[in-house]
Amino acid sequence: MTEEILDRIYDGVLRGDTKAVTAGVQAGLDAGLDPQQLLDDAMVEAMEEIGHRFENNECFVPEMLIAARDMKEGVAVLTPYLADAGVKPLGKVIIGTVRGDVHDIGKNLVRIMMESSGWEVVDLGVDVSPEKYVAAVQEHHPRIVGMSALLTTTMSNMKLIIDALENAGVRDQVKVMVGGAPVTQDYAQRVGADLYALDAAAAAEVVKTLAV
Amino acid sequence: MQPRERFIAALERRPLTGRVPHFELVFFLTMEAFGKVHPSHRNYSQWMQMEEQERNLHRDEMADIFIRTAERFEQSAIFMHPNPDTVEEDIHLIDRIRERTGDRYFLMRHGDATFSIPDGTQMTGFVYRLYDEPQKVKEEAQLRVDLALQRAEVLARHGGLDGFALCSDYCFNTGPFLSPDQFSEFITPYLVQLVAGYRDLGYYVIKHTDGNILPILDQLLAANPHALHSLDPQGGVDIAEVKRICGDQVCLIGNVNCGLLDTGTDEEVIESARYALAHGMPGGGYIFSTSNCIYTGMRLARYELMLDVWRREGNYPQSPTSTPPRKSHD
Repeated sequence: MTEEILDRIYDGVLRGDTKAVTAGVQAGLDAGLDPQQLLDDAMVEAMEEIGHRFENNECFVPEMLIAARDMKEGVAVLTPYLADAGVKPLGKVIIGTVRGDVHDIGKNLVRIMMESSGWEVVDLGVDVSPEKYVAAVQEHHPRIVGMSALLTTTMSNMKLIIDALENAGVRDQVKVMVGGAPVTQDYAQRVGADLYALDAAAAAEVVKTLAV
Repeated sequence: MQPRERFIAALERRPLTGRVPHFELVFFLTMEAFGKVHPSHRNYSQWMQMEEQERNLHRDEMADIFIRTAERFEQSAIFMHPNPDTVEEDIHLIDRIRERTGDRYFLMRHGDATFSIPDGTQMTGFVYRLYDEPQKVKEEAQLRVDLALQRAEVLARHGGLDGFALCSDYCFNTGPFLSPDQFSEFITPYLVQLVAGYRDLGYYVIKHTDGNILPILDQLLAANPHALHSLDPQGGVDIAEVKRICGDQVCLIGNVNCGLLDTGTDEEVIESARYALAHGMPGGGYIFSTSNCIYTGMRLARYELMLDVWRREGNYPQSPTSTPPRKSHD
C-alpha cells in the first residue's frame, strides 16, 4: 500500500501530472503515512530523478519546471501536516545574479531546483552588488551563497563579492557556489568559490551534503 | 566582386577566391571605435516630438555608424538595428545606407518571429502555457509569423534589403531549452513557414542561436535557412563536426569563441580563429565571425587580433578550381 502510493506520487511528478500528485499525497495522508516520507521518498526523490535526467539531456527545462509545479502543489497539500510534524527546510540559501548582469534564467532554475529539494531560498534578483550580498548574509545567515553570471564581462564580479564577504568577516560562515554559462570549475577555484555547478540540477546535487 | 556579392556567394555556398567574407551581428564598441553611442543603446523617448529635420540628423548619424563599422572592420554585411524599431525607420535606414554605399554591402535586419528562450521572469509562465493551453500558444506562434511576413512584404516592395537574421535563441550551452519533441511542435513548423515566406519574397535568411544546437540541428536544417550563425564552441559546437554533417546543405557562420575573446589569452584567441577558418572554409559556404557578437565590455584589441588572423589565414586560392572540393553527401 505504502509503496503503491509513493510510486503514484513519484510517477506523477515525473509525468507532469499534477492531479495524480495531489491525489496521491492526499491518499497517503488518508492512509496515515508519514508526511516527511511522502515528501522525501516520493516528491524529492522524483525531483532528484528529474535532475539526473536533466544532467544527461534526457529531460529539458520545461519538464523540470512542470515537475517542480507538481511538487509545489503536492507540498501545498502536505504543508499543514509538515508543520505539525516540525519538519524544517534543509537550510537557507541566498542566490543572485552578480552586479552588471541582468540575466536570470539560470538563477531562477537554480532557485526552483533548490526549493524542490527542500531548501529555503532567498532570491536577491539580478544586478546584485557585493554590498547587497553582504547585507543579505548578515540578515539571513544562510548556509550557502549562490552567484550566477551569464557574461564573461560580469563574471569577474564574483570575486569582488567573495572579497566583500571576506572583508565583512562572514566568508567562513557560508559556502559560496558559482555557476553560469561562461563559468567553469577552474574559474570557480580561481575566484575562491567553494562549489561549482554546471546547471540547476547540479546545483541541487552539490549542496546535498551541506544540509543542516 | 563587391563585399555584398561575396557574402551572397558564401550564403549560396559558391566557390570564392580571395578572402572569406566576414561580418558581426552587432558591433557594440562604437564609442571606443568612433566616439559614438551605438544606435541600439540610444533612448529616443522624444522621437515623435522632434522636427523631421532633427530626426533626419539622427538617422544620418545612425546610418553612418553602421557604414563606418563595415568599412573599418572590413565586414561584408551590415546588420542594421533601426531605432525606433518601426518599418518607417527601416526604410529610412535602408535608403541612407544604400544612398551612401550603393550595393557594396549586404543589408539585413532582425526578422525572427519564433519563440526564443524566455527570460527568467517569463520562463515559468511560458512553460505552463505550453502544457495548459498549447493550442493558444500555437495560434500566437502563427500570428507572429504572419505579422513578420507582412512587414517583410512592405520592405520587399520598397527594396534595398537583402535578408533577415533570425536571432531567437533556442539553446543553452548544455542543449536546447525545449525538448526536441516540443521544439518540433512549437518552433519548427513556424520557422519553416517563416523561412519559406522570406525566401519567396527574395530574401536571404540567416538563422542564429547560441548554445548547443546539435539536438535540434536536423530541425534547423529542415527549415532551410541559407546560413546557420553562431556555432557556439561554448555550447560544445565543433565547426568541423557541423561542416561534416551539413556543410553541403547550409552556409556556416561564426565559431570564433566569444568567451575566449574576453577571458582567454591572445594565443587562445588566435587558435580559435584559426580553427574556425581551417574547418569552415574548405569547399566554401563559410563566413568568418565570432560565436555571438562584439558585445559591450569586450576589448576592441581582441576583435582586431581575431581579424589579424583572418587577414593572414582566411584566404582562398586565387583560382576557385584550386579550392579543394568538398566531399558530396548527396
